[in-house]
Amino acid sequence: MVAHIVGLRLTSMRHLIIREWWRLLVLIAAGLWMVTLLPAIQWARSALAGTDSDNRLTAVVAVGAVVVVGWAIVPVLVAGGDDTLDPRRFATFGVSATRLMPGLVVAAIVTLPALFFAYLWVSLAASWFAEGVWVGLFALAGAVVQLLTCIAVAKVSASWAARVFANRRTRAVTLAVTVLVLGGFAYVVWRALHRGLEALFETDFNVLIDAIARTPLVSALTAPGAAASGDWGRAAWLMGLAVAWAGVLVIAWHQTVAHALVTPLYRSAGARTRPDAVVRAGVRVPFLTGSDRTGPAGAVYARVVRSWRTDPRYLTSLTGVILLPAAFVAVVIPAFDLDPRWAFAAPFVLATSVGWGRHNDIAYDSSALWLDVVAGKRGGAVMRGRFAAVLVWSLPLVVLVAVACAAWTEHWELAPAVVGAAVGALGTSLGVAALTSVLLPYRTPAPGENPFGAEAGSVGAGLVGQLVSSLATLVLLPFVIVPCVLAVLVDARWGIVAAVGGVALGVAAYLYGLTVAGRLYDSRSGRLLAAVR
Amino acid sequence: MTDVPAMALRGLTKVYGSLRAADAIDLDIPAGSFYGVVGPNGAGKTTTLSMATGLLRPDAGTAHILGIDLWQQPDAAKPLLGVLPDGLRTFDRLTGAELISYAGRLRGLAPEVIETRRDDLIATLDLGMASRTLVMDYSAGMAKKIALACALVHAPRVLVLDEPFEAVDPVSAAGIRRILIDFVDGGGTVVMSSHVMALVERLCTHVAVVGAGKVLSAGDIDAVRGGMDLEQRFVELVGDERQHRDLTWLRT
Repeated sequence: MVAHIVGLRLTSMRHLIIREWWRLLVLIAAGLWMVTLLPAIQWARSALAGTDSDNRLTAVVAVGAVVVVGWAIVPVLVAGGDDTLDPRRFATFGVSATRLMPGLVVAAIVTLPALFFAYLWVSLAASWFAEGVWVGLFALAGAVVQLLTCIAVAKVSASWAARVFANRRTRAVTLAVTVLVLGGFAYVVWRALHRGLEALFETDFNVLIDAIARTPLVSALTAPGAAASGDWGRAAWLMGLAVAWAGVLVIAWHQTVAHALVTPLYRSAGARTRPDAVVRAGVRVPFLTGSDRTGPAGAVYARVVRSWRTDPRYLTSLTGVILLPAAFVAVVIPAFDLDPRWAFAAPFVLATSVGWGRHNDIAYDSSALWLDVVAGKRGGAVMRGRFAAVLVWSLPLVVLVAVACAAWTEHWELAPAVVGAAVGALGTSLGVAALTSVLLPYRTPAPGENPFGAEAGSVGAGLVGQLVSSLATLVLLPFVIVPCVLAVLVDARWGIVAAVGGVALGVAAYLYGLTVAGRLYDSRSGRLLAAVR
Repeated sequence: MTDVPAMALRGLTKVYGSLRAADAIDLDIPAGSFYGVVGPNGAGKTTTLSMATGLLRPDAGTAHILGIDLWQQPDAAKPLLGVLPDGLRTFDRLTGAELISYAGRLRGLAPEVIETRRDDLIATLDLGMASRTLVMDYSAGMAKKIALACALVHAPRVLVLDEPFEAVDPVSAAGIRRILIDFVDGGGTVVMSSHVMALVERLCTHVAVVGAGKVLSAGDIDAVRGGMDLEQRFVELVGDERQHRDLTWLRT
């Protein structure tokens, strides 16, 4: 069974590479990158062998913790990777999870990342031979346990994440995870900036290392340290802890495999009833005019508003654009002791990230695009409806943040300038986004999929789209921002230019972007569908 | 029947790498016909119908709908078409009723018109309570029916359906058949791809057999059959190259 499963994996990998040659390039690039790291590992190993066991322990704990956490997070972030051995695929063959597991474990080891980290752990372990043969052998055993921990943690986190995202009512989870991760990161940055990096390393870092060293996360790596100092009792305890932890993870993995075998992905049931919110939607939307209110644009508006309210992918980007300026005001300004007027950057950060974030807007609706395309030349209406659904929440938010910044800094005289320029930044970046979303769409996670995942095949196209939209936004933004900066720094009278010019330019860029994007949408509609599906 | 064909395809070609998914397809679909497009898996049926409905830009060739060039004048041609694609998902965070309304508004119908037609379609397609459920909670057959409703809401002249009966239960299938026959009786044209020969023989007045991206035979169904039943004729045209062996070990 083991040989069979590993063979299955290698065969399908070969076929996949023949079919999609770029995968081979990715594989070669990854392999080369790892090979270039090997000398560094050798160097680290000899450096470690030369130092006392205290420092060696600190280094090992830090590396070990980072790597285990990485193995837990990366599979969640990189969706669309290799799912050849997805347990669900074995469901129809009547094989039990218990019979599958050994094969799955071995197959998981025969991958580039696993082999690389196997080499890393064994190299680190080998440095303990300086303390005696038995300590070295003990460390080698620890390396094996640590590798198993990494692999199991990856499998468990990936399948648990998939289970969470399979449920459509995961808004709360998605938001909570995003907030927690960003919040934790912001806290670390704040500590670092507030107290200086050195102080951080001297105190917090050591406290953290001490704390981690006691957890089973890395105890397979610290056990040799105890053995080296002759404390074999403690060494045995740490190793036992590591083995138990790896065991728990493997059992959890086994459980997810068993679960997957009897739980096909299904569309979650549950009759939610609601009246028809589409047929007359858009009548009172201020960003739609004339026939758009009763016509196609209003329908598109209603649909996209529904997405903004219920789709985890939209909610994640919503959380992101709000947290970024919030972190700037709450963390960066106090940490660097900046002039409070820097707070005026917040509405611009917000406006620009809202606008830039829509640069692939069309692709997010890959599943609904055909309906828009078969209906005829609806490009203009589609774009106006889509972006009205963004404006309806982002414009009040941007204005609110701009006014709040003026209030907080008590520079009320600057409020018109900041509001006008921020509105300008929003309109400009949305106009650019409208164009790039039609010109350079790339594949995104489909509705209902992991909102953090990037489709593996879209990396290249995605980079182009992101680069072009960033450059275009960067070129245009100074026109709205510079007068505002002058108003803040030089003379408040510039504020009139900033206010009037910002609004005018924003509105113009928005309308122009939408109009051209709508025309392009119509002329490219036969290709758009193939580009995003 | 008028002389202008409901759908006229000339030299439609789509190439994916080395695969000619559609290889200079020529096809005339008379107005008022119930036209079946049959062919083995991978023959290019979906590719051809996608190019004929504006969903996929052809590498070469033209598609005319009732005499109007679809790719030159999409604004004039697309309102004549109702499309039910196969394998394309839809916007599933709307309820069934909302999805029909959405399609109606995209087609530029007035809200009052949409409401009447929406309720008619829901009743006729027996979607009842399902019209108040999110499409993402639908079974495959229900999703098919709601997509058909979306294709019908603007009263098209030509209906293009890719595998309309796949995954649909017999009762619903009878309902869909009745709607389609009524549609043709009223002067409309139905173009339908299918794998089920019996269904095509029963419903269609005309048929085209497609294989390896080419039209192998097309026309009046009796002419194509040439005295055989459609399945025999189909196998003859497409070629059955499988080796026949008796699986004696199954009889244990």
